[in-house]
Parts: sequence; C-alpha cells; structure tokens
Amino acid sequence: MSATELERMEALLRGDVPRTAAEVRRSALIGELRGGTLRAPDALRARALADRPEPARRPRPSWKLAFVVVPAALAVAVGAALVHGLTRPANNEQSASFGTVAPKTKAAADQQALRSAAAPSVAGTSGRLTHTDASITVAVPDTDDLRDATNEATRIATSLGGFAQSVEYRTPAEGGGASYLELRIPAQNVQRALAQLAGLGTLVSQDVSVKDLQHDLAVQSEQIAQLRRRVAALKEALQSSALPEAQRVLLQIKLAEAKRALAQRLNARKGTLAAGATSRVSLVINTEKAGAVPAQRSRIDRMLHSALEFLAVEGIVALYALIVVSPLLVVGVVVWWLARLRRRRDEHRLLAA
Amino acid sequence: MKDVTATSLEATPALTGRPAFEAVAAEQLDSVYRYLVFLTGDRTVAEDLTAETFEKAFRSWRRYDPRRSAPRTWLCQIGRTVAIDWFRAEARRRKREETYSRDLEQSEDLVDGLPGPLQQALRQLSPAEREVVALRILLELDGPAAARVLGISHTACSTRLSRALKRLEEMIDDVGD
Repeated sequence: MSATELERMEALLRGDVPRTAAEVRRSALIGELRGGTLRAPDALRARALADRPEPARRPRPSWKLAFVVVPAALAVAVGAALVHGLTRPANNEQSASFGTVAPKTKAAADQQALRSAAAPSVAGTSGRLTHTDASITVAVPDTDDLRDATNEATRIATSLGGFAQSVEYRTPAEGGGASYLELRIPAQNVQRALAQLAGLGTLVSQDVSVKDLQHDLAVQSEQIAQLRRRVAALKEALQSSALPEAQRVLLQIKLAEAKRALAQRLNARKGTLAAGATSRVSLVINTEKAGAVPAQRSRIDRMLHSALEFLAVEGIVALYALIVVSPLLVVGVVVWWLARLRRRRDEHRLLAA
Repeated sequence: MKDVTATSLEATPALTGRPAFEAVAAEQLDSVYRYLVFLTGDRTVAEDLTAETFEKAFRSWRRYDPRRSAPRTWLCQIGRTVAIDWFRAEARRRKREETYSRDLEQSEDLVDGLPGPLQQALRQLSPAEREVVALRILLELDGPAAARVLGISHTACSTRLSRALKRLEEMIDDVGD
C-alpha cells in the first residue's frame, strides 16, 4: 500500500473530488456507506439513558499528588537533617566542657580540660589488673623543639622503666614537622608518664582508655587449674596396669589434648599479665605550624556540617533502596509489556476471524 | 423518551468545563451503536453491548478528561473493550459447543438503506475490517482518533481501512458478476 494511495483515500474521506475512475468508484462506495441509516432502537435508548444512582465517589490518588508528596518527603528529609544538626553539636559541647573549672580563656580551658580528663580513668584502677592505652598529641614551636621533645619523650619512657618501641621523626623541607612515638610504660608509672609527656609542649589532645583484665585473668586461671587437675587425673589413670589397651590409647589421646589446651591457656594468661604490666602510649609531637590546633568551628558550622552528614546518610539509604527496588521495577515493566503484547495479539486474532 | 437533562451528574458543567454525561450519552448513542453493530455484525448483540458501554461510561465519567479525547472517541474505546470481552466469551462458547448459533441471525441487514450487494459484502468482512469502516466512514472519526480507539498507529489504521474498502469493492464486483 503506497503512501500516495493512503493520502488519496484520506482526501476522499474528507470529501475531495475524485481524480480517477477508481477514485470515483471508491468515493461512491464511501457515499453509499454514509447514506445508510442506523439508529439505536428506542428500547436501547431508554435502557442506555435510564436514570442511575450516582456512583459512590471513591477518592483516587492523582499523579498530581506527586507534586505534593515529593517536596514533602524532601522537606521531611531536610528537616530531619536540621534537627539532627541542631541536637548533635549541643551534646558534643557538653562532653568537650567536661572537667573545665572557670577557664579564663578558651585555649587555657581546653588545656585544663585535656589534662584533667585523663586523671580519673587511670587513677581509679589500682588493685586490679588493667591495660592502659593512651594517645597524646602535643605541639612544640619549631623543629629544634621537636627534636628535643622527641629525645625527652624517649628519656621519660626509659626513666620510668619503659622503652620506646618505635620512633618516627619527620621534618619536611617545606617547614613544620612531626614525630610519632610508640612507648611502652610499666603500668604503675603510666600516670606519671602521661603527666610528663603532656608537659613536653602545648597539649593538643589526649585520649586514655583503660581495659579491665581482672576478669579475663580469673577465667584463664580457673581454666588452667581445671586442666591441671584433668592432666593429673589422666596420668594417674594411665598408671593402672589393669587398663585395657584400647582404653589406654584413648586416655593417652585425651591426655595429649589436655596438655595442649593447658599450654594454650598458660600462654594466654602470660599475655594477659604482660598486657597488664605495661601500658601503651602513642605520642605525636607536632610543630605548631604543621599541627596547629584546628580552629574551633562555630555552632552554625557544626550544625550545618552535621546536617549535611545526615543528608548524605539519607541519600545513601535512598540510593540503596533504589538499587534494591529497580530490578523489581524492570521485571514488573517487562511483565506488563508482555501481558500487553499478548492481549493485543489475542484481540487481533479475535477480530480478524 | 425520558428527559435526559433532568438528572445531571455534573451539577455545574460550566465550572468543570465539560458537558453533563446525559447530554453526551444522548448525542453519541447512535454512533456507538452503529460502531458496535459493525464490529459484532449483530444488531441484537450490539444493543446489549451499547447498553453495557454506557453503563461503564457512566461509572467512569468522573475519570473522563475532555482534553485527551473527544467524547465519541472515549465512548468507542469503552465500547471496543466491552465488545472484545464479548468476542472472547463467544470464542470460548463456540469452542465449547462447536456451533455458532448466531449464523441464523446474520440474515438481518447491518445498516438500513444500503444496497443488497454492499450489505452482503459487509457481512463477509472481518470484525477488524468492519470496525475501521465504521469508525472512519460512519462515525467520521479522524485518523488519530480512530487509531486511538483501535490501539494501533495512524498509518496502520489507514492501511486497514484501505484494504477493507478494496475488499468491499472486490466483493461487490463478485456479487454483480
């Protein structure tokens, strides 16, 4: 069927004048078809136009609702982020001001807070086996002081019965510098060590964590005692001459297992005692240029930062949900499309018959 | 004939920007009936289907959007859905009974006032061919509207109509010979 033929047919339908004999004939056919009369019978008219009760109005969600729902969801997300931002900095401020007593300046207050914060966690552990893990950052004016402070830190560790496990000293050409020290200090001297190390320069940060090892030690000691009793009992049983050979072999296997377990527990207890005997102190010494104390951000900055972080988390959750849902959507669309195709074919077959 | 404007579903058509259902139904009833007569080839069936079409249309009148299609197009779409359901049911029935009792009723003219050979030729067309003739020629829907009712492209609709007319011409010739 050519395009011209179709165009001419459309023209004839619009009432265009026929140009050829075939078109005259087709035009006549169209005229005949249009000349026929077919009116709906009165019975049908009465039936189709009869009074009907008004159908119950069922509210249907409109696609226009998306214009309300989407901005509302976004507003809720942003609102939640702002609320999170408003509440979180307040908590941080509360924890930062712990231990400060009538500070004259903010820097002095920070120093005092940092120095006093470590004291209770270490002092309160006497009489029990504990492991102390501390990290201190101090700032010194220049690289000369950095070198001196590094040497002094090593000397402090040695003088208190400990040692420097590693020392890393960096002074880049562009200025500034830092040294990183891993110190091992006897547990009984850790508080003195922390106090002396904090005095090497301006204290920037101090973090002390104390883990109680007493329970671990008690459990390990109890297990060792049990295993020792088991080993003794097995040895005694094996000394009996009336023991059948098969039973003897079995007991020997059990004895070997008990000995191995005992050795493991003894090693573990040794490790626990060693951990309790020495404390680990990570010391970072910065020159003030390289490791300047970051300026305290304003409340609004912190709030915005926190809100943005929260928004990012919301975005990640939304993205995750999209990734999970999108394959299902694709499957749904394919199923819908196949069903539509099948329905179309079915209709075509029905009407072509 | 009842007064179709007595109970208006749309109390304030001027405000909503569309006519009352009763007015549309009264205006389009003949068109829908004609379309369904052509599609089914049976006046009795077409009457039932027309009534069902208007019943459905009444129920979904609130969802009708005059900006998307003319009332006639919308009603023909509903009519077609109703008719296809009927065709499906008939196909199942025929399969079950392996007879087609409607053959006896097909002696009735499809349209009054048409010459005998044309009536006979119309009967020999398939429902798909008859429905495109009805939509484009009897109901005078334009190409896009008819294509929308049939769920096919405008070109496919024109091609189907052209083939149907050609078949009609050939069958009229055969009867004449």
